[in-house]
Amino acid sequence: MTPRSGTLSPDAQAEAADLRLEGLEKRYGAALAVARLDLTVGAGSLVALLGPSGCGKTTTLRMIAGFERPDRGRITVAGRDITGLPPHRRGLGMVFQNYSLFPHKTVAENVAFGLRMAGLGRAARDEAVARMLDLVQLGGHADKHPSQLSGGQQQRVALARSLAPNPRVLLLDEPLGALDKNLRESMQFELRRLQQRFAITTVLVTHDQEEALSMSDRVAVMNRGRVLQVGRAAEIYDRPATRFVAEFLGTANILAGTVAEGRFQPACAASPGKAPALLSVRPERIALGPEAEGLENRFEARVVSSAFRGAYAAYQLAVPALGRELYAYRQAGGPLGQLAYAAGDVVQAGWGPEDGVIVEDDS
Amino acid sequence: MTAAPRPALTGRPSIGRPFLALPAVLFLLAFFVLPLLDNGLRSVVPADGQGLTASRYVQVLTDPFYLDSILQTVLLSGVVTLICALIGYPVAYYLVRHAGRLSSLIIFLLIAPLLTSIIMRTYGWQVLFARRGLINTWLVQDLGLIERPLRVLDTPGLVVASLVHVLVPFMVLSIAAVLQGVDRRLEESAQLLGASPWRTFLSVTLPLSLDGIGTGAILVFMVANGSFVTLVLLGGGLKTLPLLIYQQFNTTRDFGLASAMSTVLLAVALVCLILQLRLVRRSGA
Repeated sequence: MTPRSGTLSPDAQAEAADLRLEGLEKRYGAALAVARLDLTVGAGSLVALLGPSGCGKTTTLRMIAGFERPDRGRITVAGRDITGLPPHRRGLGMVFQNYSLFPHKTVAENVAFGLRMAGLGRAARDEAVARMLDLVQLGGHADKHPSQLSGGQQQRVALARSLAPNPRVLLLDEPLGALDKNLRESMQFELRRLQQRFAITTVLVTHDQEEALSMSDRVAVMNRGRVLQVGRAAEIYDRPATRFVAEFLGTANILAGTVAEGRFQPACAASPGKAPALLSVRPERIALGPEAEGLENRFEARVVSSAFRGAYAAYQLAVPALGRELYAYRQAGGPLGQLAYAAGDVVQAGWGPEDGVIVEDDS
Repeated sequence: MTAAPRPALTGRPSIGRPFLALPAVLFLLAFFVLPLLDNGLRSVVPADGQGLTASRYVQVLTDPFYLDSILQTVLLSGVVTLICALIGYPVAYYLVRHAGRLSSLIIFLLIAPLLTSIIMRTYGWQVLFARRGLINTWLVQDLGLIERPLRVLDTPGLVVASLVHVLVPFMVLSIAAVLQGVDRRLEESAQLLGASPWRTFLSVTLPLSLDGIGTGAILVFMVANGSFVTLVLLGGGLKTLPLLIYQQFNTTRDFGLASAMSTVLLAVALVCLILQLRLVRRSGA
């Protein structure tokens, strides 16, 4: 391991390194857990690996950490190949879902662990530990044992512990999965704030789309061992490349049809012989009633059911012309508690050409 | 909410509770507490039955012969416990971490010695190590590695080996039970923080499994402390307290002294138990 300055300065832009995964592949028997995965995480940025359980995201993270050996491919940090290094010589930091604090050590001893392993002297260690604990607002808890802390506090200790030795790359494995909803949201902000303050290259593994969207610079959506799409959160949400991405990230109305001369025709109106295609339209892009007037794609729809969801109203619509149902989200305006449409109403539903995206069928 | 009185439901299960414990309490009273009291009484009542005396305790605790015996007893149990821990830990570690499907087979093999009777097991050692036993015959006649047969029988070493043989399963199973509960992600965390596998073991795995070593040590120590048949049959020149107590009852027929020695043996066991619990509590939790 390269000698690293023990007394870290969180405000200084740490010498963040970029992380590259090249053609990474892992098999368990006949099952392909990760298939030919390429991914680059820019220096100081946070990339979220998002996908359902069993999609290979955790295996990927464990290969980066060195707990699993890839069958093929290589992993480099700042151009240096670490594929063959054991975990303790990789200089990475990791935070687990269940915190994984050492139960027999105090909070301060937990945070000091990595510094002790790096051979730091007592004084420097104490100073760094105090600073790290202040940074995560746990200054007064140094001598407590992890079991005396709340879940959120434990997770902050885990974060302080992983950042203390100034790792080159930070790995987060479902870091907020064990916290309740309110705490999760505030921890999302805190994690992101620290990540940016340290400007540390970070890989976040999560199945929670909200977490991925709100914390990351870029999101990599994974399924069945493959990365389907990488990009900024908004980009992926607005321009999903495949049907899986569209449906996993938020809700999507997927319409089958054909494409001719750059225009999408729903299946019912399509003539045979043209290229089949799928169109994804986000529910919040579907306009109803007067808003739908003049839109290019407009259909008569019957409200099957409606639901008040706080910030918006969700409608389930039956559209005879499309032979299927659509979901539409509209702002819950009007008098309090009043939805614009009720079950049984017949309304116009429509969307403009810029609201639909042609997606690849990968289901 | 209305302030209605609580239904009497809560009272019902508690009626049954004392009755549930009754058989066990009666049994312990009849076969444990009363004999213990009787034993204690016998150790302080003089031979003529008049008044009380502490002379036997003074004798056991001051006479070098008996002190030596106490020391031998504790030392033998200590050595057996230590060896069991040293042998048992790696086995338990392998069992939990690497054995996989083999684990039930290993557990069976571990418990197998306990399935044979102690007499058979002990004579087995004699057959193996006698002057003209299996091993010496091999070494001297068949292989010609040594000129004279090894003298293993009647040595303390064989007593220790025999006790370790029976008691090591208790150690292994105690450690394995605790090791099973040690989260592997703790070890992974330590490794990512820069700890080599060996340092990870010393600073995370071992401290977290101390509880198991403690439980195993107490079990092994207690059983070794009171072991008798093994010592009678394999001897080894050891004079532990259980042997002396046996002699007092059967040969010298000094029941008072024998009772005093049993009380001392019990006290030694209790002191060691408390010390070990202390040790484990402090470094463990």
